[in-house]
Amino acid sequence: MTQDLLIAEPKPVHDGGAHAFGRLTRQTVLPVLTGVALLAIWEVSVEFAGLRPAVLPAPSAVLQTMWANRELLIVNAIPTAVETIGGFALSVVFGGLLGILLSYSTLARDALYPNVILFQLIPKVAVAPLFMLWLGIGWESRLAISLFIAFFPIVISTVSGLNAADAAILRLCDSLTATRTQVFFKIRLPYSLPFLFTGMKISMTLAIIGVIVGEFITSQRGLGYIILFAGSRLETAIVMAALLVLCVVGLVLYGLVALAEQIIMKRFGE
Amino acid sequence: MSACSAKSGQAFVRLSKVGKSFRIEGGTIEVLRHISIEVADRQFISILGPSGCGKSTLLMMLAGLEPVSAGSIEIGGQAMRTPRRDVGVIFQDPTLLPWKSALENVLFPIEIFRLPFAKYQARAEALLELVGISDARHRRPRQLSGGMRQRVAICRALIHEPKLLLMDEPFSALDAITRDELNVTLLDIWERHHQTAFFVTHSIREAVFLSDRVVVLGGRPGQVVLDVAIPFARPRDLSIGESLDFNRICGELRQAIAENHARRVAG
Repeated sequence: MTQDLLIAEPKPVHDGGAHAFGRLTRQTVLPVLTGVALLAIWEVSVEFAGLRPAVLPAPSAVLQTMWANRELLIVNAIPTAVETIGGFALSVVFGGLLGILLSYSTLARDALYPNVILFQLIPKVAVAPLFMLWLGIGWESRLAISLFIAFFPIVISTVSGLNAADAAILRLCDSLTATRTQVFFKIRLPYSLPFLFTGMKISMTLAIIGVIVGEFITSQRGLGYIILFAGSRLETAIVMAALLVLCVVGLVLYGLVALAEQIIMKRFGE
Repeated sequence: MSACSAKSGQAFVRLSKVGKSFRIEGGTIEVLRHISIEVADRQFISILGPSGCGKSTLLMMLAGLEPVSAGSIEIGGQAMRTPRRDVGVIFQDPTLLPWKSALENVLFPIEIFRLPFAKYQARAEALLELVGISDARHRRPRQLSGGMRQRVAICRALIHEPKLLLMDEPFSALDAITRDELNVTLLDIWERHHQTAFFVTHSIREAVFLSDRVVVLGGRPGQVVLDVAIPFARPRDLSIGESLDFNRICGELRQAIAENHARRVAG
């Protein structure tokens, strides 16, 4: 345990700045060009195959529709985003607390862990109508569905994370007569951060799914509602436009977690 | 072969008929039996023996991290049952916290003890200076070599001025040259406060170089097979390793270890 292992990448025969620039260009330009090419193919095939816009609109049509309905889309993107953040926050709080309980109490772990797993095996989408029955058609049921779907990765990652500190460091703390609280905040929590962030990234993507499912069922507002409503009227261009906005919302929220990870791991990483 | 007991007066550390057994599937295994050692204050004593002889277990019991199965351990007149703040421990693995700098790692015990940082900051910096890594004090463990990390661990064990210093093969994971350097550094820094010290090792030369006294553990279960006083004056430098006396003592120790090892292997 004296040195870090460095796995060296084989160096290219012709070294130099030109090669490095070539790599960067490849990594950005190539996927962008591929994406554009695929969009172009889509655009042309729609014309060529004579597909009706109700079945598959061309990308240009989607973008046009998006612009034309931008107010509608933004107005509905906001509740989706807000409820996703709410569901995510609840997952972190409840999932985190449950994870801590399961880590510190063998009784709780033996009693609850198998049940939590069983709970998770229930197809959550199918349970959503039940939540609507219990909690109504407001944000309460949507948040509940989101929490239900998104909290498990937090529980798992919290449990793994809190056990990640190695025995040697815990023995050191023992020798220093550290209290359990000190060990939790000064050792276990920092060591668990990489695990927590992985869990949170997964949880965020699930939280948004939960909200969309909730919107499908409660059909009041939000991007899910737009997708369902427009879909029922065969306005496929709006459906796709809403999907596009949804992707952006998801990416931004995921990106926020990733950004938080960067900032915090700089301080608490190796 | 000269046995050595505590000088007249009180022993600072007293092990009385200490035994240790572990429960394994199928029964118990006795690892140590009837270990009785008395150590005077300010003595540097090495526990020497091959791997598996129980010497690390003995140190863990001295640290209060393992309970004794038989007998008792007294340190400074008080029974040793749980870890105490007047004891400093250095393990084989430096186990530094990766997100803290060298300086912050040295101050970690102060953080746990909830003592004021300001009071100990100067001392931490002085310790790092003594072991020669003052320039690296703001670096993180990842940026330090194995030898440097162990130096930080030494400073960390001494920051709170313990009365007893316990070391479990702290240099075993390092290369021979770094090990020699650290032996000298350790003595350098130990002689400032000259606290009672227990040093566990399987290196005969290291034990003889560092200590006032070497206790050899051997047999199964482990017992004290030899207790030798080391006559060299302090401060010592590495050249004593070439002297005849040094090698004669090493020979004695090697023989004692070999005899008991043969007995163990034979069953």
